[in-house]
Amino acid sequence: MSTVLTLAPADTSTAPARQSWQAIFALARFESRKLLLRIPVLFMLAAYVAWIVWRTKGAWYGYPALQDVDRATQTGPLLVGFAVLLCVNQAVLRSQRHDTERLFGVLVLEPWRRTAAHALSILPVTGLVALGVAAQFGWQAVKSTAVGNGSVGELLVGPLCVLLCGGVGLLMARLVPKAFAIPVAAVLFLVFSVLAPVSFGGDGASRWMPIITESSTKTLPSDLIGRPAASHSLYLTGLALALALLAVLISKGRTKTATAVLAGSLAGAIALGVVGGIGQSAGVSSEMVAARTVATLNPQKDQTCIRHGRSTYCAFPEWVPRTTTWAEVTDHVQSLAGGTAQTRKLLVQQRVEARYGMEADGAIEPSSTPNQVTVRTMWGGPRTPEFSAAVASVLVLGNEKAGGDVCDGRMVTIMWLALGWTSHPVTELRAVRLDDTVTGSASVLSPTNGMSMTAGQTSVVRELFVAGQSTVTPKVKAHWAELTSPKVTTAKVAELLGVKAPAGADKCE
Amino acid sequence: MTRGSGDTEQTDAQLPSTARVLAQLIRPVLRALPVRALGATAAVALLIAALPRLLSDEPNPWSALVALRAAALAFALGLAFVLDDPTRDLTSSVPTRRILRTTLRVALVAPFAALWWTAAVLLVPSEVRPPVGDMTLEAAAAAALSLAAAATALRFTDEPEPGQRVAAGFLVIALVSPLALPYDWGMYVSPAEKQWGVGHDHWAMVLVGAGMVWAACGPEPIRRRRLVPTRTS
Repeated sequence: MSTVLTLAPADTSTAPARQSWQAIFALARFESRKLLLRIPVLFMLAAYVAWIVWRTKGAWYGYPALQDVDRATQTGPLLVGFAVLLCVNQAVLRSQRHDTERLFGVLVLEPWRRTAAHALSILPVTGLVALGVAAQFGWQAVKSTAVGNGSVGELLVGPLCVLLCGGVGLLMARLVPKAFAIPVAAVLFLVFSVLAPVSFGGDGASRWMPIITESSTKTLPSDLIGRPAASHSLYLTGLALALALLAVLISKGRTKTATAVLAGSLAGAIALGVVGGIGQSAGVSSEMVAARTVATLNPQKDQTCIRHGRSTYCAFPEWVPRTTTWAEVTDHVQSLAGGTAQTRKLLVQQRVEARYGMEADGAIEPSSTPNQVTVRTMWGGPRTPEFSAAVASVLVLGNEKAGGDVCDGRMVTIMWLALGWTSHPVTELRAVRLDDTVTGSASVLSPTNGMSMTAGQTSVVRELFVAGQSTVTPKVKAHWAELTSPKVTTAKVAELLGVKAPAGADKCE
Repeated sequence: MTRGSGDTEQTDAQLPSTARVLAQLIRPVLRALPVRALGATAAVALLIAALPRLLSDEPNPWSALVALRAAALAFALGLAFVLDDPTRDLTSSVPTRRILRTTLRVALVAPFAALWWTAAVLLVPSEVRPPVGDMTLEAAAAAALSLAAAATALRFTDEPEPGQRVAAGFLVIALVSPLALPYDWGMYVSPAEKQWGVGHDHWAMVLVGAGMVWAACGPEPIRRRRLVPTRTS
């Protein structure tokens, strides 16, 4: 006790800047390791992996369009983001909670440098989420059935949301340094972001949310989607940087130079966010409107036509690889048909209602051109029997438009052609009917206007599936003219094909 | 007077009854309550409950349900701090058992919580208000779960103030459970759906289960098992 320090302590304020940077990085390494090992973060990372597997397995019925896949990676990272929000906040407040602020006060790192280290500690977990996004996208992209193009802007949104959450946690810790503040604030943010778009309605408010969801689930050619993905990710980057820099800027212990540099960077980040914000609120350009109109009304101007066998397939360029899949279905349907229908040349044209972008859906009018079949942008699941039903209706009725009015026994012929060649026709029947039933009357899905089946027709079709392809096909080919003549009754068709006829006449609602 | 009865009198005088202890404890426990944490969370939770009214002129039942559930969650997060005791190192050795002290804390908070819940329910416009009884059950279950989690943290760690960790864990679980729980359990459905009834049976089970955990984690352990090292973040 009696030995008093007589020497003045060494002047620590002139420590070289390089060393303090090294200290920042050392602290950032330590904090990021600690952040990655926090139970909420580990739990949410596990939940995120589970979410990826659950969402990606069987998604898009195995026929993904990559311009949809990129958007589907955006919500999952919010799980991790929430854990990061809480844990970064608690990590910043740790020294206060454990009353070690006074000890840290004598160390080389001032509070603002410690805040900067905490900001850097968010990066590794963001990197993990970026890996998750890449895995989710890559899983679909390597499929041979995948079509289209993903957008880097859309893929960046997930990781940027994690960064944004970390920024919010950091800033909250410096603004309200209380342990109880962040969980409640997180709930408030979450509820606000859920309720605000519903309440305000329209595009105006939802454009500023981290994740912009769309009301339409259809697939568009990637150049017609018109989502300002690049601007939006720029906006998110600016926002996240601005929050983190603001948190550093309001921390104590800054030198004048540091303040000036930080203020300059903050202004830069805000400028970045503003540029992105202006870019994303620009709305749909007139060129885009024109391109969408052309794609909807005159798709042949954009499309590439390819011949497979007898028929021609016209598709938007991104879907050209899928034309072979369509051709297989067309060939199967034609192989069941008789008469001239077996060798008829069809024009399969891809059509999409693109005029409303991703904001709304619209029905496609059936084509009245003979031997023209419509195929849509999605495939797999119910979309496949839907297309084969359209092919069958064109083979039986001559054109697509007539499918909406048919009410007689020809409906049985159509449904047999559409589904008789599949390995599980009853499953396909359930998929192609609007109410997912296999008995009673129902609407049948179609790429354009639907068709309808009566209860009697349904039972005859199911009898045919039981009888099997080898029994029914020769009879179909033998009686093709009668089976496809207008006004043939369902009972007559059943009799010709040798199955039990339903009671009562055809009656369509 | 026999010697034995004199002893009894003396013991009675030395060890006052539980009721008297509790009466004496009320003031110090009131002072030790994390009033600011509770007040702030209650205020934010009320703001959340008022969001449908604030955001829209004609709120729909769905947003009212979301807001009321979120308000209950926010308040439950505040309750996670109720058992925080910075002086735990000192109070763990006092003769009054911890379960009495913690129960007294909760009993003192309960009227405030009831008042708060009434206000939150009243903030939701009556025409879109979900069934109050069932929602009260949900809120009570969430609150009990939060308190039980805090009691568990006290029972198994040395942390004097486990509130912030408990709140973070509780919030994470609350966010994941609507995604992870089977839809048929009906715990997050809307009143129009048929699972609403069975969902509230499940909420009642959660409430009872949380109560049991609370009771089991009430006593101060004689020898502490260290699942989590002391004082790390």
